[in-house]
Amino acid sequence: MKKIAVLAAAGLLAGSAFSGAVAQETIKIGVTQPLTGAFAASGNYVAQGAKIAEDEINKAGGVLGKQIQLIIEDNKSNPTEAVSTVEKLIQKDKVPVLIGAWSSTLTLAVMPKLDEYQVPMIVETSSSGKITTSGNPYIFRISPTSEMEAKAFQPLVAKMGIKKANFLYTNNDFGIGSGAEYSKMLKANGVEIGVMETMDPKATDFSAQLAKIKSTGGDTLFVTTAVEQLTLILKQAEEQQLKVKIVSCGGSNSPDQLIDQAGAAANGSYHTAFFPPWFPEVTKNPDVAKRYMDEWKKRGHNVGGLTEGFRGYDGVYVAVAAIKAAGKPDPEAIRKALWGVTVKGIYGDIHFTKQGPAGKESGQNVPVVYLVTIDNGKVVRTKF
Amino acid sequence: MSRYLSFVLVAALASVPLWLHDFYVLHVLITTGIFIIAAMSLNLLLGFTGQLSLGHVAFFGIGAYTSALVSLGFEIHVLPDITVGLAPKPVWFAMLAGIAVAGLTGYAIGKLSFRVRGAYFVIVSISFAEVVRLVAVNWVELTQGPMALNNIPALTLGIGPIELSFLRKPSFYLLVLAAMVVCYIIIVRLVTSRAGRAMIALRENESLAMSVGIDVTRYLVIATIVSAAMAGMAGALYTHYIRIVDPDIFLFIYTVTMVIMVITGGKGTLTGPLVGGAIFGILPEVLRAMAIRPEVQWIIYGVLMVLVVYFLPEGIVPAIKRSLAGWKRRTVDAL
Amino acid sequence: MDQLLQHLLNATVLGGTYALLGIGLTLIFGIMRVVNFTHGELYAFGAYCMYLLVMLLNVNFFLAFFLAVALGAALGGAIEILLLNRLRGADIDTTMLVMIGAWIVMQNAEQLTWSGVALSVNSPFPADPLVLGPMSVSWNRIYVFAVAVVLIGATYYFVNRTRLGKAMRATFQDRDTAALMGIQIDRIHTATFALGSSLAAAAGALLGPVFVVTPTMGDLAASKAFAIVILGGLGNVVGATVGGFILAFAEEIGAGYISSGYRDAMGFVLIIFILLMRPTGLFAQKERIG
Repeated sequence: MKKIAVLAAAGLLAGSAFSGAVAQETIKIGVTQPLTGAFAASGNYVAQGAKIAEDEINKAGGVLGKQIQLIIEDNKSNPTEAVSTVEKLIQKDKVPVLIGAWSSTLTLAVMPKLDEYQVPMIVETSSSGKITTSGNPYIFRISPTSEMEAKAFQPLVAKMGIKKANFLYTNNDFGIGSGAEYSKMLKANGVEIGVMETMDPKATDFSAQLAKIKSTGGDTLFVTTAVEQLTLILKQAEEQQLKVKIVSCGGSNSPDQLIDQAGAAANGSYHTAFFPPWFPEVTKNPDVAKRYMDEWKKRGHNVGGLTEGFRGYDGVYVAVAAIKAAGKPDPEAIRKALWGVTVKGIYGDIHFTKQGPAGKESGQNVPVVYLVTIDNGKVVRTKF
Repeated sequence: MSRYLSFVLVAALASVPLWLHDFYVLHVLITTGIFIIAAMSLNLLLGFTGQLSLGHVAFFGIGAYTSALVSLGFEIHVLPDITVGLAPKPVWFAMLAGIAVAGLTGYAIGKLSFRVRGAYFVIVSISFAEVVRLVAVNWVELTQGPMALNNIPALTLGIGPIELSFLRKPSFYLLVLAAMVVCYIIIVRLVTSRAGRAMIALRENESLAMSVGIDVTRYLVIATIVSAAMAGMAGALYTHYIRIVDPDIFLFIYTVTMVIMVITGGKGTLTGPLVGGAIFGILPEVLRAMAIRPEVQWIIYGVLMVLVVYFLPEGIVPAIKRSLAGWKRRTVDAL
Repeated sequence: MDQLLQHLLNATVLGGTYALLGIGLTLIFGIMRVVNFTHGELYAFGAYCMYLLVMLLNVNFFLAFFLAVALGAALGGAIEILLLNRLRGADIDTTMLVMIGAWIVMQNAEQLTWSGVALSVNSPFPADPLVLGPMSVSWNRIYVFAVAVVLIGATYYFVNRTRLGKAMRATFQDRDTAALMGIQIDRIHTATFALGSSLAAAAGALLGPVFVVTPTMGDLAASKAFAIVILGGLGNVVGATVGGFILAFAEEIGAGYISSGYRDAMGFVLIIFILLMRPTGLFAQKERIG
C-alpha cells in the first residue's frame, strides 16, 4: 500500500501544478469543433475560418487593448466529448465566451453546461430549431434554422415541378430536424412524401437505402448530411442509376469538394448554401466576403471549404464585437452585449432577435439562403 | 501495517476537496476514480479468473443507460399500439436499477459466453459489446441514438428539508471515493473467500480445477455477475456526473483503456487497477497540458502497453513489490 | 424483384472483398493462433497507400495497387518479426495484448499523418455504371470483384499446391513434427503473417477508391473479418471465402428488408450465433474450442 500512497500524492501534486492560474495577457475565446470523426471536414474548415478572423483582428490591434486568443478544442463529433471540451474551456481556460459546437446534437449536448456555468456561446452552424426555443439565454445563433431554410426553399417547389419527394438524412438532430421541416413545408405545398430513410453519420454504404428510394418512383430526393457522406451518396446514386433531382440541405455540402471528389456524379444536383463564394457580389457585404476569400486562398486552404469556413470567421467577429461593447472579458457582460451587436458579416448583417420562451430567450440571426446547381463541373446560381 | 496505512490514505484523499480549489483538477480526479472502479471490476474477470473479456465496456454502458433512462423516464412502443413506459424515478433508485440490470446482463452473457474459451471467448465478448452498441445507436425511441440522452438529473439524497445534492463537484468526489473503497472491500472479500480461491484455481489450470470438482462455470458466472454489477455502478456514477450519455460509450476503445489500466497496473493484484487507473486517468491531462496531441498520447499508451507486456508482464505493482522485497532483503543482509 | 436483384448484385461484389479480408485473417488466426487486432489497420494501410500513390505521387492506378499489396506484405512481415517473434511460446492473452498495443499505435499514427478528414481516391473508371437490365453496377466495383476473385484463386492455389503453402499447413497441424521435418518455423510464421496482411491491404486498396479513406475504417473491417473466420472455421480458406459471401448477403438482405441501421450488426450477430451453436464454424472438421 505504501507505493500507492506515494503515487497518489505524486499524482495530486502533478495535478495541482497544472491548475495554476495563467496571466491574462490575451482575451480568450473558446472554440469547440469536430476536428476528427464523422464531421471532421466541416469542423476543420470552420476552425480555419475562425483562425483567419483571429489573425485579422489581432493585426488590427486586438480588442480592449489586448490580443485575442482562440482556444480550439476537438469535440470528436461526439456529444459526450463536446461536453468535456466545454467543461475544460470554461473551468480550465476560463474563457468568457464560446463558439461552437457545429452539429445540432453537439450544441444541444453542451447547452446545460452553458446554463450551469453561465457562459454565452455563439452557435455558428447548427440548424435544429430546438436550440433557440429551449429557453437557454446563453445561446446566440448566427446560422439559420432548418425552418428558415425550408421557408426560403418554398418558392422553388412549383418552379422545380416537384410532385413526389423522398428523404435521406442522418439520424441525428441535424438530419431529423431538416427532414421534418422540409417535409412539413412540402406537404403544405401539395407535394407527396415518399419514404424518409435514415443513415448513421458514420455509414459509408447507402446502397440499401438508395435501392428502396429508387423503387418508390419519386422525382426528387432531399438529402441532409455532411459533405463526406454526400459525396458517397452522389456516387452511389449514380451507380444505381437513380435518376432523380437531388437537393442537399443544411448548407454543409461544400459543392466544390463534391465536384472534386464525386466528379460527374455531382452534375445536376442542387444545394442550399448560406454563402456563395462563386458569386460573392450578391451577398450583403461583398467586401468582407472578398477579404475572407482572399486570405483563405492565400493560406492554401481547400477551396471547397469556403462555404463552411465563413461560419467560424463570422463567429469570431461577433464574439469580438460583443467583448468590445461589454468593455471587459466577463461572461455576463458579454452575454448582455450580444443583444446589441450588429456585425457586417458574411452571413449578412448579423444581429440577434429574441426567440424562445419569455424571460429566457435565445438570440437568433436571420441570414440569407441561396440555392445553387452543379452544372458540368461548375457551380451556378439555380435558374428557372 | 497495511490496514493502518490504507486508512490514512483514504482519509488523505477524502480531505482533498477541502484544500484543492481548482475544480478542473477535481473533475479529472472524479473521472479517474470512476475509471478505477471500472478497472477493478475488469480485473476481477481478467486478473483473477483469467478470462480476457474484451466486451467489458458493455456493462459500463448498460449501467449508464439504464440509470439514465430510469431517472428520465421513457416510453417505447413494443407493438404499434402497445406502449411500455416508466415515469421518472429518483436518481438513487435509478442507479440501483443500473447496477441490477448490468449484473443481470453479466449473468446472461456469462452463461452464454462461457461455453467457449480462449480466442473464441474474446471474440464473443467483443461481439456482444458491439451488438449492444448498435442497439443503442438504432433503437432511437428508447435511447435517442446518436442524439444522446441529455439533461440527466444529478444525484440527490435525503428526506424533506435535509437534502444532500451531489451536483457540486466536491460532494461527488467524495461519493466516488466512497464507492471506490466499497468496491475494493468487496473484491478483497470475494478473492479471499472460498469462491475467490476457486476462481484463482481455474485461472491457473482449468482442467485441473475441474478434475478436483470445482464447478468452473458456476464460479465464472459469479465472477461475471459481480464484475458486471460493479462496472454498471461505475457507469451509473459516470452518467449522473457528466449528465449526458451517447452510444459511443460502448466503443471498443474504452474497453481497451480499461484493459491497459489493469495490465500495466498488474492483473490479478488488488492494487494493480488502482495504480493503472491513476496513471491512465491523470496521464492524459498531464500530456494535454504539455500540448501533446491526443494521437501522440495514444501512441505513447500503445507503446507503453507493449513494453509492459514484454518487460513487466505482471504489471507495475508486482514489479515494485519484488524490488521492494529485494531491497528489504539486501538491507537486512547488510545489517 | 428489381430491388432484390440489385441487392444480390451488391452482395456479390461486396462478398469478394469480404472473402479477401477473411482469408487473410483465417491464415493468421487459424494457423498462427494470433488474435490479430492489426488486421483492420493493414486494411486501412492498403487504402492509405492508394491515396498516397495515386493522389499525391501520381502513380498509375493499377501499379499503385500492386505496390500497396507489396507494402502491406512488408508491413505484416515487419510486425511479425518485431513483435511476435519474441512471444513465440507465450499464451494467447499476451499476444493479444501486444496486438492491441500495435493496433493503437498504427491507427493513431495514421490519424497523425493524414488527419481525421475523409480522403477520396480517384479511379480511372468511367462514372457511368454498367447497366444490366434493372440492375446497375459501377465499373469500379466490377474491377474490385474481378481482382478479388483472382486473388482468392491465387491464395488457394498457393496454400494448397505450392511447397510453401504445404509447409504452412504442416506447421498448423503439428508444429513440432514440422520442425523435425526441417521446416523453418520462424520463417513460416513471418511468411504467413505477411501473406495474411497483404490480403487485408489488398482489400483496403480495392475498397478505398470505392468509398472513402479514414483512419478508423479498419475497425469495422476487422470485426467483419473475425465474423467470417468464425463462420468458415479457423484456417479454412474455402470456408473463409464462402463465409465472406454469406456475410455480404446477410448484410445486404438485412439492410434492405429489415433495417439499414443494423447492417453492421449482422456480422456480430452471426458470430455470437455460430459460436454458441456451432463453435467450429460451418465447415471446419474437428477443432478444440473450449
